[in-house]
Amino acid sequence: MLILEHLIKHYKGSGKGITDLSLHISPGDIYGFIGHNGAGKTTALKCVAGIHDFDSGSIQIHGMDIRENPLECKRQIAYIPDNPDLYEYLTGIQYLNFIADVFQVGAKERAKRIQMYGEQFQIVSSLGDLISTYSHGMKQKLALISAFIHRPKLLLLDEPFVGLDPKAAVVLKNNMRSVCAEGGAIFFSTHVLDVAERLCNKVAIIRDGTLVASGGMEEIVKQGQSLEDIFMEVAER
Amino acid sequence: MKALIKLELCNLFGLNVFRFSRDKKARRKSALLLVLWIALLALMFFYVGGLAYGLLFLGLGQIIPAYLTVLSSLLIFVFGILKAGGAIFRREGYDILCALPVSKNAVVAARLIRMYVENLLMTVAVMLPGLLVYAWNVRPHLKFYLAAVLWALSVPVIPMVGSVLIGTLVTGVTCRMRHKSVVAAGLSILAVFAIFYGCSRISALEDSFNPAILKELSVFILGLLEKIYPPAVWGGAAVVDGNLVICLLWLFVSLAVFLAAAMGVSLCFHGICRRLFSSRARHDYEMKELKEQSVLISLCRREFQRYFSSTVYVTNTILGPIMGCVLSATLLAVGRKRLERILPFPVDVGEFLPFALAGGFCMMTVTATSISMEGKNWWILKSLPLTAKSILDAKILMNLLLFLPFYILSELFTFLALRPGIVGFIWLLLIPAELILFSCVYGIVVNLHFPVLEWENEVSVVKQSVSAMLGGMGGFILAILGAVGLWMVPTGYEDIYKGLLCLAIFLVTAFLYRKDIGG
Repeated sequence: MLILEHLIKHYKGSGKGITDLSLHISPGDIYGFIGHNGAGKTTALKCVAGIHDFDSGSIQIHGMDIRENPLECKRQIAYIPDNPDLYEYLTGIQYLNFIADVFQVGAKERAKRIQMYGEQFQIVSSLGDLISTYSHGMKQKLALISAFIHRPKLLLLDEPFVGLDPKAAVVLKNNMRSVCAEGGAIFFSTHVLDVAERLCNKVAIIRDGTLVASGGMEEIVKQGQSLEDIFMEVAER
Repeated sequence: MKALIKLELCNLFGLNVFRFSRDKKARRKSALLLVLWIALLALMFFYVGGLAYGLLFLGLGQIIPAYLTVLSSLLIFVFGILKAGGAIFRREGYDILCALPVSKNAVVAARLIRMYVENLLMTVAVMLPGLLVYAWNVRPHLKFYLAAVLWALSVPVIPMVGSVLIGTLVTGVTCRMRHKSVVAAGLSILAVFAIFYGCSRISALEDSFNPAILKELSVFILGLLEKIYPPAVWGGAAVVDGNLVICLLWLFVSLAVFLAAAMGVSLCFHGICRRLFSSRARHDYEMKELKEQSVLISLCRREFQRYFSSTVYVTNTILGPIMGCVLSATLLAVGRKRLERILPFPVDVGEFLPFALAGGFCMMTVTATSISMEGKNWWILKSLPLTAKSILDAKILMNLLLFLPFYILSELFTFLALRPGIVGFIWLLLIPAELILFSCVYGIVVNLHFPVLEWENEVSVVKQSVSAMLGGMGGFILAILGAVGLWMVPTGYEDIYKGLLCLAIFLVTAFLYRKDIGG
């Protein structure tokens, strides 16, 4: 589903970025991406989402190269940043309609999906209000609905649980599992290691832009240890 | 208070970014912005210097300080009305400041001081070259220089306070409205046109000007300036006489006015901010039938929604098309003959009007800042399956559709006023249309090369960015150059010139579009 090969991305001037990142994410994977602040998680996710260009390496989504087929690749994915800055001058329903127009989701289909996800995230009654009136959590819910509305094959989520209430977090986890059960994949960054340990089947740890551990959760987290122990051990090394 | 003022002033004209940014691109942009400001100042120096020299040549040297005071005061007042609301009641840092142990008076005063510093720089840019030319020729006493410095310090205060009060009133009246940005923009534009109208009514007295009283010209002009802005004449006279007492007194008066304004605004500061920034959610939405639209229409619609959500964006860009309409309506009301008589130089209005209309429309295009206005939302378009061409096409289309009703209206008024022949009618339609199209494409190309996506205040994008300065007036400058070219063309060759010019503009527009947008 997603193959990153020797990805290198450096920011001019700061020297930060990612160095030689290689990851393979298969259909059905919930792939956790963990690392300290500034480790390069967001940069990697933005490269995959086609927001940032990269210096070298390759990114393949569903067998297509993001540089050669950016539009086709983007049709397969949905990306939610860590701080969902949405169009505050639109109402929630206008925003969802806009996203559905771009992904060419039929009128009846979009209404059905918005109703369904809206009810799950308990946001239907607020969809007529301007996004500028939304709390951080409500914006996050709206961004998540906009991600699910076109049934993407690959979900790229940057800190998706931040700001969500407990019920919405459960709804999100269930939907993430549904996407994977239908043959999709999820690549998400998080600082909540407990959630990552319980939700993900694979995990990657990044430090200063370099991948320091990756693989199946059972390979990484050995008996008697937690993901937190492993992370602290790897991060301190 | 000191810390707040420092905070307000530290990134004036992008200086802080230039000092501390390690991103070479950001530094380059800041440096370019500084260079543009300096170039603009240099232009102003030459223009005002020349103006002052002309007045000296006519023996009207003593009116220079008053004349320049009126000029800078009008500039401060008009531009101030368009941006005062956004500058004083801006959201940037408001929540953090509210949580800090600082008084609202201090917050308001710091924001006013920032405006004052910006306006003081404008005053210096306008007055300094003129006063230098005056001093070089007249060799006045040392007291003149001291009086000029004291006077220059006080010049920005009253027009700035006036614009702040109007801006506060407009913001206060509209802050509870659902479409507050559009209403506020409308009120601000009305205020600006009221000033223009007022000035034109006063200037209309010039009709009664009798050349026989040339020797009393200075008295006449001073009388005119006094009608526009009386303190300018009092202060101007004080500067010429080197009257330090009057200048010092006026500085104290200005300080008192400034403090009174700061206190007045701070009385309603939190109230207006709360209303402006508070959320009014109804939570009563019920799912309805949804409509599917094409990607281009959906993008274009979103562009309109973005545009009308920002007061400063609307006021800064819609003024030109409105002026185009006002110009053509004036022509219809006044009549061609009378307009030609009023104009200070002999001109065939019918020949030059297409350029004048185009110049009005292209004073500041929407596209020149439409990429920058995406700001922190840019990630959305970048992550969606959209080509750059479709995004940019939507921005150009929105600008064209926005100008279309104004274009039709002004063309109609002009046609009724001039009743041109078939060739004249073609030029009347074609020249403004081509220049509008050019300015939209040129604006977006410039913004593509100089985007500013990290900003906190829309004013910095719409009024102070490189793209706004380089890209916003492309069509306007081209219209002026086109008119100058027409003036130089020998009689009988006007239509050939216009045809070639239209062809050239079309080719340049097509080239820019294909090269940078991907036609």
